[in-house]
Amino acid sequence: MMDESSTKDTSPKGLSTKLLAGSVLGLGGGLVGLFQGLQSGDKAPFLGWLWGCSFWLSIAIGMLMLIMIFRIFNSKWSPVVRRQQEHALSAFPWLGLCLLPLLLVAWFGKDQAGILWSWINPASPTIEVSSIISVEEDVLHQKKAGYLNLNFFTLRLIAYFGIFCGISYWLRKASFSQDKDGDPKWTHLGTKVSAIGIPAAALALTFGAFDMFMSLEYQWFSTMYGVWFFASGMRAALAITILICVYLVANGKLKGLFKQAHQYDLACLSLTFTIFWAYVSFSQYFLIYSANIPEETFWFTIREIDPNTGLRSGWFWVSMGLIFGHFFFPFLYLLFYRTKVDVPKLVFIVCWILAFHLLDLYWNIIPGREIVPGAFVGYEARPVIGSHLLWGVFSLVGVGCLCAWAVIRSFQSGIAEIIPIRDPRIRESINHHE
Amino acid sequence: MSDIMDIKYAAAATFSSAKELYDAAGKVKEKGYSNWECFSPIPVHGLDAQMGYARSKVPRFTLAGGITGFFTGMLIVWFMNAYDYPLIVGGKPYFSPIYPFPVFYELTILFAAFGTLFGMFFLNRLPRHNHPVFEHPDFGLTGDDKFMIVIEVEDPMYDDEETASFLKEVGGQSVQIIREPID
Repeated sequence: MMDESSTKDTSPKGLSTKLLAGSVLGLGGGLVGLFQGLQSGDKAPFLGWLWGCSFWLSIAIGMLMLIMIFRIFNSKWSPVVRRQQEHALSAFPWLGLCLLPLLLVAWFGKDQAGILWSWINPASPTIEVSSIISVEEDVLHQKKAGYLNLNFFTLRLIAYFGIFCGISYWLRKASFSQDKDGDPKWTHLGTKVSAIGIPAAALALTFGAFDMFMSLEYQWFSTMYGVWFFASGMRAALAITILICVYLVANGKLKGLFKQAHQYDLACLSLTFTIFWAYVSFSQYFLIYSANIPEETFWFTIREIDPNTGLRSGWFWVSMGLIFGHFFFPFLYLLFYRTKVDVPKLVFIVCWILAFHLLDLYWNIIPGREIVPGAFVGYEARPVIGSHLLWGVFSLVGVGCLCAWAVIRSFQSGIAEIIPIRDPRIRESINHHE
Repeated sequence: MSDIMDIKYAAAATFSSAKELYDAAGKVKEKGYSNWECFSPIPVHGLDAQMGYARSKVPRFTLAGGITGFFTGMLIVWFMNAYDYPLIVGGKPYFSPIYPFPVFYELTILFAAFGTLFGMFFLNRLPRHNHPVFEHPDFGLTGDDKFMIVIEVEDPMYDDEETASFLKEVGGQSVQIIREPID
């Protein structure tokens, strides 16, 4: 026993150090990319950075929404699972920090301020039909300038992270305090925070998706976009939740507490949000396809064909990959009971979903119109494979290691028991049965 | 009694707690009976596994219904828009999996729901108006505070005396034969 506890004491520290080293390496590499991008006017490192952040941010937001939904439904089975998700919320402040360099460039980048979000710089070139004009000449920006301006944008980003971090703080406090005194007032507090938090976080994530990802092509708009981001985040968060719980069962901490019934319910939720993701993503495509308005259709066009030649581009195959790999396969796979209760089978599919979620974000963030004065339509679509992928991997690893470090630190801090032992629902949760 | 024709249906034993029922069910399964049933006023977790039940086959009907619905939707759209009366609407192709997708999707859900409902009816042999087990004088108590195990005559291992004594052995309190009268 002594031996085991002493190795347990040293190995997490080693892991923390490794994660911090990974984040320094990843973020450092990404920052070098940003710096180089600023020098040469290359957008790729910025897109990569945003992509890397978006993956982890979507997971944290999904976790936040799941906790609040569990709270508001007063669900009896969830407390065992909820505690693991509460630790994940500790990533939010760090995610905000990771997005800071992009905001700093927007403020202090001078003539490169609009390198990522072109509307930030009024002199950035943009496309109107097929002629090249500047952002300030573009009527589609003039009409949106009351919303899409740097001051309001900055204020909003601060507000989003204020909401995410604030709700996280109170949800964690309500849950962790109850471990100590068992006072039912904490359950009531958690419910109240969730009742206010769900609409607040829903608005923050919707407008956050508009601001950070949709405004990359500020002329394009889709009211489904926020819902898409929510659905994606829920899928990724459920996947990570399952992985965390399965891992904690394997290393003994949740053995006998996290049961097949919990796993089955989480897997059912994964199936639900797989369908919901497809519903939302398809609806977005379907409405734009049916309406057939050029200022909307170009967004999908550059994800299917090379606009200058009309031939299929690499993005076509990514799009097909999303339809079949991110929807049909996980959907059909998760329909079966055995795949939801068998641990290796479920672990396989949640890893699959995470990989395709990453591809989905890539598909949403990376393709864009690069202004090329000589081109037939005035621009070229950014290719699938390029330096943005390399820079993206840096920030993906960097941000990921930083978030993992924060979450593991929360797990090991002793701030909370492995399950909420004094939650009024804990007995029902432990005895949860299919 | 003697002037009424009846059919012997089953041997029934009552129990007074869920635990007794649960333990007895395990023994009945072990003994190898196949046509038998438990009755309980409350859900007893794990009883289905204890009785050796496999998972329900209803999902197969659901899947079959869903697939049928999807292709029915496709067939309707193809027949109407591309075959019987080709018409260009909104510049879209005569047939494509995109613009009529809501039709496929809705029919998938509708037929899957039909498959679930009617598959469940089929597997449960519902609807039926009466059941021989209602003839047991204390059957109403299984909706209150009694538990019951009923082993049917249909069971290949059934034997009047042997089954009755076996039911006593596993803790059954009042063991009796259920007879279904015929008018």
